[in-house]
Amino acid sequence: MTAAAGLGYVLIALGPALSLFVAVIAKKPFLILTLLSSTLFWLVSLIVLSAVWRGFLPVKSAVWWPYVLLILTSVGFQESVRIVFWKVYKRLEDMLDAFADRVSKPRLYLTDKMLIALAGGLGHGLAHAVFFCLSLLTPAFGPATFYVDRCSHIPFFLISAIMSLGFVVIHTFSMVIAFNGYAEGRKSDQAIVPVVHSIAAIMTLINLAPGGCVVGVPLLCFMAAVTLQYCWQMVWRRLTEHQNRQMNN
Amino acid sequence: MAQDPDSTPSLLDSLGEEIIRIVAPVSACMLLVVLLVSTLSSSTSPLSSLAAAAYSDPSSSSSAASIWDKLSGALLSSLVFIASVTLLTFLLVLLFYLRCTRFLKSYMAFSSFVVLAFLGGEILLLLVTHFSFPIDAITFSLLLLNFSVVGVMAVFMTKMPISVNQGYLVIIGVLVAYWFTLLPEWTTWALLVAMALYDLAAVLLPGGPLRLLVELAISRDEDIPALVYEARPVEPRPGARRRLWRERRDYGTNSGSNANPSSLGNMSPVTDERRDLGTNSSLNSNNSMTGEALPETRLVISEQESAGGSSRSELRAPLVQTQLDSRGEGEIEGIGLGSSGAIKLGLGDFIFYSVLVGRAAMYDFMTVYACYLAIIAGLGITLLLLAFYRKALPALPVSIMLGVFVYFLTRVLLEVFVVQCSTNLLMF
Repeated sequence: MTAAAGLGYVLIALGPALSLFVAVIAKKPFLILTLLSSTLFWLVSLIVLSAVWRGFLPVKSAVWWPYVLLILTSVGFQESVRIVFWKVYKRLEDMLDAFADRVSKPRLYLTDKMLIALAGGLGHGLAHAVFFCLSLLTPAFGPATFYVDRCSHIPFFLISAIMSLGFVVIHTFSMVIAFNGYAEGRKSDQAIVPVVHSIAAIMTLINLAPGGCVVGVPLLCFMAAVTLQYCWQMVWRRLTEHQNRQMNN
Repeated sequence: MAQDPDSTPSLLDSLGEEIIRIVAPVSACMLLVVLLVSTLSSSTSPLSSLAAAAYSDPSSSSSAASIWDKLSGALLSSLVFIASVTLLTFLLVLLFYLRCTRFLKSYMAFSSFVVLAFLGGEILLLLVTHFSFPIDAITFSLLLLNFSVVGVMAVFMTKMPISVNQGYLVIIGVLVAYWFTLLPEWTTWALLVAMALYDLAAVLLPGGPLRLLVELAISRDEDIPALVYEARPVEPRPGARRRLWRERRDYGTNSGSNANPSSLGNMSPVTDERRDLGTNSSLNSNNSMTGEALPETRLVISEQESAGGSSRSELRAPLVQTQLDSRGEGEIEGIGLGSSGAIKLGLGDFIFYSVLVGRAAMYDFMTVYACYLAIIAGLGITLLLLAFYRKALPALPVSIMLGVFVYFLTRVLLEVFVVQCSTNLLMF
């Protein structure tokens, strides 16, 4: 409904991502490059998934178990892409450290590594929001709006914007958790990321039931809050440990 | 919150800065073209993707014959275009060889004026009509005249602030790219692929016109008369190389001119920290890795796009005889890993990237995002290859091929998948 509503939906989905970008990422060019490459990674994984599933689509609306399979395979594939991303990042980190030594600059700080992880996660979240929400928002700039049968309480665009917001948060901060988990070798951190991702994705299945979005969407926001909280705790712990270690040296 | 000491600036502060300085204007050009195309085009309805999802329509197979016709027609017109571009490039090489630089420069000034005044004027008129903007003819023509004259001066005179120069180059790219998107669809795609292949051949083959042009320019130590976008040189670290910056600044504001290699030779007492991957400080620095003579890294070529008199009609039929095409190679004087080179990209690259994205915008926005990412990835790959090979490389092929590939993949595979998931409110 008009450009104002369209812009509003865009900002709901991408507002926090935009403020993160402007405040943190836009200042360091390397983080912008990380963001672009992780967006590209996510897009490639999505294309591969759609290539695999193209033969089985469109699914008849009455049946719901193909969707379960779809979600599980997609989440599994994306988590393995995350591991690949981590390996690429490890090699890049070694190259950067070698370069820093050669240019006689300090090596990457802990905050630098976390910033790179944040940019990577934000790239994933941005790609998710762009492809699942923004690319379908073009009709919202027109004079009317659109409702889905299964959830006729609020417009379709608003639901997808809120869900994209939840997923942006989940993707961004679970990348930080995952990178820290792999770096430190803590199994709990490493395991919680796929778990959170799958739970969040499975929760969107609740939306398949008529009227289910009333339950599904708030649950998704709850998962996003859980991710945020976990990430906050982990980062706090890591940084205080690091600072204590530095003061002891 | 615990913070690391920020007294020594971290490595991340300036790494990759040059790349961003070239990615940003390319993105701005693409964004403007997408905005123009989406506001001014009335062909595709915005509900095309949702509507296509609502009812599963099997792809029509009855138009097989016409597909072949369309394809052959498109191939033919793009071949004609490529042939005329090759001829004109050889003509340019000949003129350059005969040292008619003044003629070339004035011709390019004339054609930028025509692009800004006529193409820009038509687009502005379309916009004024679309938004019902109240402006009278006299004001409009006065503003347009001033705009075009300042544009010509900005592009060809050296004393202009570099942002004005860069802004006008982007605007010229946007204008020409918008007009190219008005070609019929099959022709556009065939043209893009053909231009990418031509670029590859013209730059890398020994007899290619662009390679000849570059070698001529290098052997004579002259600038190529061309329209080229140059990213601003990177600021030095505090305290390190002020003198270098001033020299660079003079060089940098030489819009459209590839500064003389020798002017960079004064980068002498290179501090050891500098990792001169590709800088041309070969003459005096003893620890740089590039001990070779500068020329190999100095390659930017682009020829001026000119619009003939009846621009619009000529553009519709790709038999645009008077169209010189600007294609360029990405050049890098030091990859953006901490050295101080400025990256130059020919204006033709801007134009064709934007044509691809603009044509994708005529279908749907999902293809726009996907093609944008593919083009940026291609540009990144080209820059990496440049840093690796250190010679003239065409910037078009990798990006265009990736872009076209991703466009078709998105249109065929991704869209159905995403729409199917989203309309069922499933996300992952």
